[in-house]
Amino acid sequence: MINSFFNPVKELFRGLYITAKNSLKDNVTLLYPEKKKNMNKFFRGKIQYIKENCIKCKLCQRVCPSKNTIQIDKYYSINYAQCIFCGNCVEYCPRQALILTPNYELASENKNDLIFKEELI
Amino acid sequence: MYLFQEILLKYNFSDWFIFIAGLVFYFILITIFIIITVLILVLFERKYLAMFTRRIGPNRTGIRGCLQTIADSFKLLFKENIKPANAEQFLYFISPLIVFIPVILLWLIIPFTSESANYQSQISSFLFLAVLSIPVFGVLTAGCSSMSKYSILGGIRSCIQIISSEIPVSLVLVSVVIFTGTLDLNNIINFQSGIFLNWNIFPNILGFVIFFICSLIMMNRTPFDFPESESELVAGYHCEYSGMKFAMLFLAEYALTFVICTYMTALFMGGYNSPVGFYLADLFNLNNGFDYILKNIEQLFWISIKTFLLIMLIMWIRASYPRFRFDKTLELCWYILIPLAVFNLCVEIFIKYLRGIL
Amino acid sequence: MEKILTDRMRINIGPQHPSTHGVMRMIVDLDGETVENVETVIGYLHRGMEKMAETSTYIQYLPIVDRIDYLSGFFCSYAYVNGIELLMDIEISEKSKYIRTITMELNRMASHLLWLGCFMMDLGASSPFFYTFIEREKILDIFENLTGNRMMYNYYTFGGVKRDIDKENLYAIKKFSDEFVFALKDLEELINYNPIFISRTKNLGILEKECAYAYSITGVNLRASGIKKDLRKDKPYLIYENIEFNVPISENKDVQARYILRIKELKESNKIVQQCIDWLLTNLNNKNIITDVKPLTLKPEGIAISEVESSRGLMQCIIYADGTLNPYRIKWRTPSFYNVQIINEISKGYLLSDLIAIFGSLDIIMPEVDR
Repeated sequence: MINSFFNPVKELFRGLYITAKNSLKDNVTLLYPEKKKNMNKFFRGKIQYIKENCIKCKLCQRVCPSKNTIQIDKYYSINYAQCIFCGNCVEYCPRQALILTPNYELASENKNDLIFKEELI
Repeated sequence: MYLFQEILLKYNFSDWFIFIAGLVFYFILITIFIIITVLILVLFERKYLAMFTRRIGPNRTGIRGCLQTIADSFKLLFKENIKPANAEQFLYFISPLIVFIPVILLWLIIPFTSESANYQSQISSFLFLAVLSIPVFGVLTAGCSSMSKYSILGGIRSCIQIISSEIPVSLVLVSVVIFTGTLDLNNIINFQSGIFLNWNIFPNILGFVIFFICSLIMMNRTPFDFPESESELVAGYHCEYSGMKFAMLFLAEYALTFVICTYMTALFMGGYNSPVGFYLADLFNLNNGFDYILKNIEQLFWISIKTFLLIMLIMWIRASYPRFRFDKTLELCWYILIPLAVFNLCVEIFIKYLRGIL
Repeated sequence: MEKILTDRMRINIGPQHPSTHGVMRMIVDLDGETVENVETVIGYLHRGMEKMAETSTYIQYLPIVDRIDYLSGFFCSYAYVNGIELLMDIEISEKSKYIRTITMELNRMASHLLWLGCFMMDLGASSPFFYTFIEREKILDIFENLTGNRMMYNYYTFGGVKRDIDKENLYAIKKFSDEFVFALKDLEELINYNPIFISRTKNLGILEKECAYAYSITGVNLRASGIKKDLRKDKPYLIYENIEFNVPISENKDVQARYILRIKELKESNKIVQQCIDWLLTNLNNKNIITDVKPLTLKPEGIAISEVESSRGLMQCIIYADGTLNPYRIKWRTPSFYNVQIINEISKGYLLSDLIAIFGSLDIIMPEVDR
């Protein structure tokens, strides 16, 4: 009877103790624009195109899940607004003409800024 | 206020004008004081909760985010006032005022220093409770006039919980009044003067706990924040409010938190009395006007510190516990707290009787 | 005396409501605050995952699969990849099996941690949300270093995994799993015996055995009703035969039982992770992680049903391939879709705040329901 009254009270105080204990630990917040997280080299960020290696096999186009992200005609263009950053094109490129960069800051006010274009000869 | 009235006297204004002007002056002073306190309180709560959850909290506006609440309040001022199309026009407009004005009146009743110019009344301790029950009407009308189902539920919840929490509070207050033998808050505070062992909290610890739990219910703080329980009723009674009206409801809520804590301090923790038994101002023995001002400032300091400690405890509780269930709270009030409060009343009378014998 | 008029109130919870985790809509009939009837409306997050498969090749569909259940993408990925492997008769290497197991168990932990935080948020406690997110963030960091992304992994491939797990990753996982025990203990002390929490969850949302069978509930919700069914034990896939772990069950059938089982599962998953680390650390030099299958010209034929015990229950991927580059039809059996239908049965007669608690306890993820 007494236990059934005092146990809940004890547990309530224990809850207070746990939160107080946690308040003494270090902060985990990362102040984003000032301090940036270090991305490792595998991180799938913005995809970079290296024109010299490209043999225009269009394999990147074939393995891309979101279908018209990469367009190859007169220009080689990648639409980062549509890209889902799966890394398939980089993985299956036979000549390393596409490489991954850890750049993930792609926010832009203009949609057209997100379209990468390079002229093919 | 008296200073202001004396200045007016020099210019030969009539008496009734000076009286009203003095009251208006005090009212404005209190309102400004409330706004400043609430701004600090909101920022403090955000930083304090962040500390418990290992975050930093607001840190963009000003140095370490010190201007965040000011920026927020300006944002609220300039926001568009959106009104639901089928809302009850008059009630929807008036209910933030019904909530806000009684809260300011509450601040007039509390004596912050021994010489403060608050509303002097023989029954101020009960007057406080009487005024405290008015904002609930505002919450109820705010909920019902918005014509939103979430708001209606929030308003009704608020109404029910204030009814069930008011009774144990009154019973505890009766025990305090019987113990001290006076209804006047000033006299209750003076009764507890001296070192902190003279505080009412020591003979009346059970009463303090009951009062504290009920005050959480009255302030709508976690774990009893049913009228605005976010995960159930989105925002409860102020669901449909925006802009200035929302700011008013928000301000009233925090001002209420502060003033109820001050009330608790006055009843149980010696109010503006210094916990060590003497004032720093008395040590200097200055015996001039400066001494008097210094003493008042010190009393204000002590009451603020005690209130702040209580508020910190309340925020700590907010960081730790989940929300109660609504019907369980009513059970808690009616089946546990009211019998306990009656028991506490008997104990207090017994202690009072023992004191009389010894 | 005139009789007081009482009327039922019909209230919409969702699709934009803080505690419906995404975009679910519940049409609730309230009598006072008592729930009389709940009608669930789904489909606000339908993206046509099954139709998308029919127009893409097998390799194109692989990254999309992670998005079916964004909180535990490895399970969906495994279900799909395993289905193709069954069709093509590909045997994957021992090491890749271990890597798949360790990532899936870590993912289960991440998913349960997020559930725990959101569930406590539904009950009104704000701190546990941040504590669980701190732990979950550590898991996501491990995944980021291993797979290259935090939530959409695209890590499994036909015949194995894409990248080898190296020493640094393993030590990071080991460090996390050692520290996690203490973090979980803290959380348990904060929540488990809290009288407010107990009064909010006990004897609430009782799910009877017959009802659970009738609605084909799977996962923790089923085991909380006292039925011991776990694919990892009943039909062991990958390396679950070689690993020691328990399947916790409970007879209480209520919200609290579901909470306790998920906490216990976190511990069991941690055990599995530790056993996997031990094996992987002894086999660091083994580089055999992928069986070469030429994924670009994959033309399987036939029907394969691959199953996986995901963090929410039994997940099935049924692949009907007709020997061309595109699958003829892919059908997903997702656990949340079945679990979500139970709400009406188990929340009748409780209060509105209980409805939120019951809904939270079922661990429903909307993208998985709508696909």
